[in-house]
Amino acid sequence: MQEVFASLGTGFGVALAPFNIMLVLIGCFAGTLIGALPGIGPINGVAILLPIAYGLGLPPESALILLAGIYYGAEYGGRISSILLNVPGDAGAVMTTLDGNPMAKRGEAGRALSLSAIASFVGGTFAVILMSLFGPALARFAVTFSPSDYVALMVFAFASLASLVGKNPWKTLMGALIGLMLATMGIDGNTGVPRFTFGVPDLLAGIDFLIVVIGLFGMAELFHLVEQQVTGKLQTLPVDNSFVRMADLARTKWTILRASIIGFFIGILPGTGASVASAVAYGAEKRAAGADTSEFGKGDMRGLAAPEAANNAAASGAMVPMLTLGIPGSGTTAILLGALMLFNVQPGPLLFTQHPEIAWGLIASMYVGNVALLIINLPLVGLFARMLTIPQHYLTPLIAILAFIGVYSIVGNPFDLFLIILLGMFGWLLRKMEFPLAPVILGFVLGGLFEDNLRRALSISAGDWEILVESWKSLALYGLAVLAVVLPATLSYLNKRRARDRAPT
Amino acid sequence: MIDRIFAGTLLLITLAYGFIAFTLIKAPFQYDPIGPEGWPQILAIVAVICLIMLLIRPDVDSLDTDRPTWIKLASASAMLLAYAELYEPLGFIIATALFATLMARLLGAAWGRSAAFGITIGVAGYLVCAGLMGLNLPAGPLPKI
Repeated sequence: MQEVFASLGTGFGVALAPFNIMLVLIGCFAGTLIGALPGIGPINGVAILLPIAYGLGLPPESALILLAGIYYGAEYGGRISSILLNVPGDAGAVMTTLDGNPMAKRGEAGRALSLSAIASFVGGTFAVILMSLFGPALARFAVTFSPSDYVALMVFAFASLASLVGKNPWKTLMGALIGLMLATMGIDGNTGVPRFTFGVPDLLAGIDFLIVVIGLFGMAELFHLVEQQVTGKLQTLPVDNSFVRMADLARTKWTILRASIIGFFIGILPGTGASVASAVAYGAEKRAAGADTSEFGKGDMRGLAAPEAANNAAASGAMVPMLTLGIPGSGTTAILLGALMLFNVQPGPLLFTQHPEIAWGLIASMYVGNVALLIINLPLVGLFARMLTIPQHYLTPLIAILAFIGVYSIVGNPFDLFLIILLGMFGWLLRKMEFPLAPVILGFVLGGLFEDNLRRALSISAGDWEILVESWKSLALYGLAVLAVVLPATLSYLNKRRARDRAPT
Repeated sequence: MIDRIFAGTLLLITLAYGFIAFTLIKAPFQYDPIGPEGWPQILAIVAVICLIMLLIRPDVDSLDTDRPTWIKLASASAMLLAYAELYEPLGFIIATALFATLMARLLGAAWGRSAAFGITIGVAGYLVCAGLMGLNLPAGPLPKI
């Protein structure tokens, strides 16, 4: 415990440096803005701004503080467009529209926005506190993982991904495979043999992570926006002067707490992020309300507070496996993980001991960021609401311009510009085919690690595959992987059967 | 249907990938039992199984995109490619001003406003990104900051 406080002290030393405070504020502000704009979620925001942050030549901890600020700032901001426009900024904010928008419609927009800001703050802060308490312990445990345990961990990550993300598990798996296959391009680090380079020198080092991210997310988002472009302007509901009351908070305090816990633990699971967490929290709250559910979906405060607390808790929870195991908990944290690798920082259990300034600096900056976001979001909400009225036809070209600046400023190779356009088209097509994109990036980021650990494990055993199932840790992880696949499938089967039984035949 | 076409195309690519993994990739001498080709081989096999499942049970019938939208997407793609092509020769300011103007116009802004937007974003973008933040952007024929 004392150690945690000492380390947090180090962290605050980093996070409270004036330059880093400024970056936290910029990140949170930009994040809220990006989250508030309809259609551009945290993952696209981080993807578009990552190369620019990289190009600025910041030290790794500062760059990560900035990017993380954008990430959880966007989770805060997502609620603004959900409440005022009924258009969720990203998948994690879908549940917020259910009760948030009806509240705004009956003239309580201010109350809905302030209540959800507080719920977000509690969820986010709660998750950061749990992270500072349990993160180091988890990292200490993870240090004992052997390569074969890591293989099991990856299998678990992809299994929970396949069963929890997207509608069709085969498509999720295929998405992850596309990422894994893309990651095999380039020179094999162990033997120096080029793989899938087709003699093109540009491909020898593999496809650049930044290019994949910008292409699959930023540019694909642009095509998506062009396609979805709404001709009529979206109608923004006005922000009135109503404000959250003490009685509202008293009424929702247990809701917020429950949702924060649910959100944090779902966030920790590899591959599942804010969208699953907010849906589960909303469902749980509805069940907990018992007979009194008539108001849900019509503007119940509990229905607004629960998903907001949960998605912010999940956003921070998803950072736990990223920082402690080097396995990201969501698509956006996969991008943050890739960012760390760009700075030649190897994420994983040793991060806490080898680079305490990064791990603890980031955690401390999240305390600061959450407070900053609460302060930014309460009085300035009107400003962000006005941003929602910026027409789409100015925002869409801006995405391309930012993406081009980001990609070009790194190496100055115009070939990369064509590559991101092609990847953008491919990403758009994948989205149209209902392939989730987050697994692709997860596969791409984890591909090298997965392969290295498998090969290392088999080198240790001189080619005997039994080493993969020898330790109790791997066996436990394979068990969890099976559970992650079987449990949701069984539950949905049972639900369907119950629904069928109840239906009059 | 479109689902099957897409999965089929991916299957062909995966088969090519698998072919390369099984025949062409070889290390002259290797230290570890599975070598550089083993991992791609595993991936190819799993991907083929996955794609066969998708071919058997497709779930997206059509892209559900109408003609005007296709035209819009094609124009947007053409503009992006042209933007990439002209990025270095024309320099950031001119290329961006042209691209932003045309793109905003395509998406429904009036000519005057599009042009104002384009020129503002081109000049301001360059001043902020190249001047203030020191990022490397092509100056083109205009003088460099």
